[in-house]
Amino acid sequence: MTATTDTTRDRIDDALVRLTPAQVTIAVLTIAALGFVLLFAQEPMVHDSLHTFRHAAGITCH
Amino acid sequence: MTLTDHLVRGLKAGAVAGGAYGLFVALIGNPLIRYAETFEHSHSGGGPVVPRAVTALISTAGGVFLGILFGVVVIGALYYFLEPAIPGTDGTKSYLLGAAGFVTVSGAPWLAIPPQPPGVEQALGVETRILWYLLMATVGAFACGLSGYVYTRLRPRYGQAPAGLGAGLVFLSIPVVATIAPANPVSGSLPAELAFVIQAVTGLGQVGLWFVLASAHAWLLRRDRDEERTGYGRVDHRDPTEPLGVDP
Repeated sequence: MTATTDTTRDRIDDALVRLTPAQVTIAVLTIAALGFVLLFAQEPMVHDSLHTFRHAAGITCH
Repeated sequence: MTLTDHLVRGLKAGAVAGGAYGLFVALIGNPLIRYAETFEHSHSGGGPVVPRAVTALISTAGGVFLGILFGVVVIGALYYFLEPAIPGTDGTKSYLLGAAGFVTVSGAPWLAIPPQPPGVEQALGVETRILWYLLMATVGAFACGLSGYVYTRLRPRYGQAPAGLGAGLVFLSIPVVATIAPANPVSGSLPAELAFVIQAVTGLGQVGLWFVLASAHAWLLRRDRDEERTGYGRVDHRDPTEPLGVDP
C-alpha cells in the first residue's frame, strides 16, 4: 500500500499507528544495548576484543 | 513506502557499508593499531586478556556491525522520518543525512575529544571523555537539524546561495561549544608523525563509511522508487481467485 505522507509529523503518526509501544521500546533498547557494547563497554574482555576497532573508528575508549 | 521498506533498505545499505568498513578495519585499521602498540610501554596494567587473533576478528566484525547499525538506525529509520524535512532531491538527501551522520557521530565529538592511537596517555578520564563525546554528538545533531531548518526557511525568500551560506554558518556553533570542553593534554611514547597518520586514517575511514552508506542508499532508493512507479520487478503473489482481504 502507498501511504501519502508528506511531513515528518505524518510519518511519525503513521509509524505510531503501525507499531505498538512495546515494539518501539524493544527496538530502542536493543539498539542502545548493542551500541553501548560496541562503542563504550569497558569490561576487559569486551574492551580488548574490540580494541583495534575502537581505535580505528576513533571512538574514545580507555 | 512504509517504515519497514525503509528499514530493510537501511539494512541493505548498512551491509554494503559495513562490508567496506570491515575490510578497512581488517586491512588497514588492525595492522596500523597493532604497529602503534609496539611503541606502547604498558597497556591497562597487564596486557590484553584475549589473544590478538581474537581481537583482529572481533574488531573486524565490529566494523561490519557498525555499518549495519548506522544503516538501520540512521539511513533506515531516521531517513524515513526526516525525508520530508531534508532539503534536496532523493539522491542528495541520502548524502546530506550521511554527512549529518558523520558530523554527529565523529566530526563534532572529535573537536573536543580527538581520536587517539594506543600509547597516547590522555589527561581526562574515560567517563569524562565519554560524557563530552555524547555531549558534542548532541551538539552536532542539533546543528545539523538547525542547519536544514535555516536552509528551508531562507531558500524561498533569498535563493539557494544565501540559504546555503546561512545553513553553513550554523555549523560554527560546534567549534564554539568545543572550546568549553576541558583541556585534555596528551603524552606518550608514540612519534607525533605516526599519531597524526593514524588520526588521518581514522578520519578518512569514517568519512568513507558514511560515503559508501549514503551512496548505497541513494542507489537502492532510486531503484526501489523506479520499481514502484513502473511496477517492474514486483510480483503479485496473491491468488487472483481469492477474494481481496485485509493485508496481514
